[in-house]
Amino acid sequence: MDEDHVLVVEGLNVTRGGAQVIRNASFVVNRNDYVGIVGPNGGGKTTLLLAILGMIPRESGTIKIFNQDIASFRQWQRLAYVPQDAVNFDPNFPITVRELISLGRVNRGNLGRPLKDDDWEAVEDSIDFMGLREISDKRMGELSGGQKQRAFIAKALVRGPEILFLDEPIVGVDADTQEKFFQKMSNLNQKRNITILMVSHDLTAVFCRMSRVLCVNRDVYSSPITPTVDPNELLRKAYGEHFHFVYHRHECRGDFKDE
Amino acid sequence: MSDPISVLMNLFNYQFFQNAVLGGVLVTLACAWIGLFLILRKESMIVDGLAHTAFGGIAIGLFFSINPIIPALLISAVAVLAISYLRRKGIAQSDSAIAVMLAIGFSTGLIIISLAGGFNVELFSYLFGSILTINMGDLLTVSLLSVVTIVFLSLFYKELMCISFDERSSRLTGIPVEYLSVAFNLIVALTIVLSIKIIGIILVVALVVLPALTALQLRLSFRKTMLTTVVVGVVGLIMGLIISALYDIATSGVIVFTLVFIFAVSAVYSRL
Repeated sequence: MDEDHVLVVEGLNVTRGGAQVIRNASFVVNRNDYVGIVGPNGGGKTTLLLAILGMIPRESGTIKIFNQDIASFRQWQRLAYVPQDAVNFDPNFPITVRELISLGRVNRGNLGRPLKDDDWEAVEDSIDFMGLREISDKRMGELSGGQKQRAFIAKALVRGPEILFLDEPIVGVDADTQEKFFQKMSNLNQKRNITILMVSHDLTAVFCRMSRVLCVNRDVYSSPITPTVDPNELLRKAYGEHFHFVYHRHECRGDFKDE
Repeated sequence: MSDPISVLMNLFNYQFFQNAVLGGVLVTLACAWIGLFLILRKESMIVDGLAHTAFGGIAIGLFFSINPIIPALLISAVAVLAISYLRRKGIAQSDSAIAVMLAIGFSTGLIIISLAGGFNVELFSYLFGSILTINMGDLLTVSLLSVVTIVFLSLFYKELMCISFDERSSRLTGIPVEYLSVAFNLIVALTIVLSIKIIGIILVVALVVLPALTALQLRLSFRKTMLTTVVVGVVGLIMGLIISALYDIATSGVIVFTLVFIFAVSAVYSRL
C-alpha cells in the first residue's frame, strides 16, 4: 500500500431506501490532494461522503482511510467533516461561536476532562483564520448564513485534521465571500498540507483550484485535473451528454487571486 | 413573632429546616443541571414519564416494607433503557415510548395499592413530596446520589454539550456517543427518583424543566446558561422553602410557584 494514498475506495456499492445510489465506485485520494466532488442533485455526492466516513452502511466494497478499514477506524482526530445541514441547528441553542469551535477539540483522548490551554489556543487560531474574531462571543443563532458556515469550518479546522471533508460548505453567499473562502481552502491545502474533499457546485472553482475531480452520478469517475484534461468530457459523464460547461482556463488567473 | 428578619433567622436555626435546605439544594443542583440537557435534547417529557413509572416502584417498596427508593430506582432505570431501546430500534418514537412506560409503571402502582387495601399517608408523601419532614437517613441517601449526578455532569458536560448540539457529528469525534447516552439516561432516572422524596412525583418535572427554561430566555453562552440554570433552581427552592415554612403552605406547590414566577420575570425581561 502506497503511503501517499490517504483514502482508497474499491468496488463501493451503496443502497438507500432500496435504490442504488453509488455503483461500484473505485478511486484513490493521495495525500495533499484537493478533490472536488461534483454531479447533479440527487446523484449521490453526500451519500458518497457519508459512506466514506462510515456513517451509513455500505452494501459491498472496501474503504480504507490511512490504510485502515473504515469499520475498525478509530483515528477520528485525523479527520474533520462539515455536513451540508450543519447550519440547520436549533437557533435557540445557547452556544457562542467560540464555544462551538471548542467542541471541535472534544475527542476520545480528553473524555471526561476539561479542555486545556493548548486547546483554547487552537480555538483562538481557528477564530482568526476564519475571520471570526469580531463575532466570537456572539451566539450561533444570531449569525448570518455565511457566518454560520465559517464557524462550522473553524470547528472542523480546530481539530488540526489531515483530511477535511466538506459538503457544500459555502452556499447562498455573495461572490466576494465565496472567493475569500476558496482562497482560504487553497491556503490550507498548499501551506498546511491538508487533504481536502469538497462537494461543490462551483465548477469553475473546482477546475481552477483543485487537483482532482470526482464526478458522481451513481457511477463515480475520478480524474486528476491537469491542463490536458477536458472538463466538458469529464462532466458529461456525471451531468449527461447535453451538458455544456462554459469554461476558459484563463478565467482561473482572472478570477482567483491566491494569498 | 417579631420582625420578618428574626423570624427568618429563627427558621434557619431549626434542624429540620437546615436538613431541607441542604438536601433540597443538592437535589435541585442535579435536577436543574440535568434539565438543561434534557430541554436541549428535546426530551423533557421523559422526566414526567419516569416519575410516574417510579410510582410503581414506590408502591412495591411500601408493599414489601423495603425502602421505596430502591425498587423505584430499578424500575426507572429499566424504563429509561426501554425507552431508548424502543426509540433506537424505530419501534416507537420518544413521546409514545415514554407514554407506554408511564402507563406500565403507574398501573403497576395502582394494582399493588388495591392489593394492599388502599392509599396510605406514606404513599401520599411520595406523590406530593415531603422535604420539610425528610429524615436523616433519606437526607443522606438523597444527598449522596445527587452528588453522583453532579460529578457525572461536571466530568462529561462538554461531551454532553457536543451530543446535544449534534448527535450525528459527535460520532465522528470518536467519543463513545452510545455509552454516554445510556449513562446519561441512567443518571436522569437516578435524579428523578431522588427528587421524588423532595418534591413529589407530580411536580418533579417542574423542578427539572423550569430553571433551565428560565435561563434559556436570557440568550446567554452555554457556560452562563448552565450557571444561571443552577442559580435559578437553588434560589427558587430556598425562597419556596422559606415561604412554605413561614406560612405553612404545601412546600412543593410553593417551590413550583416560585420557579414559575422567576421564569415569568425572565421571559418578560428578555423581551423588553
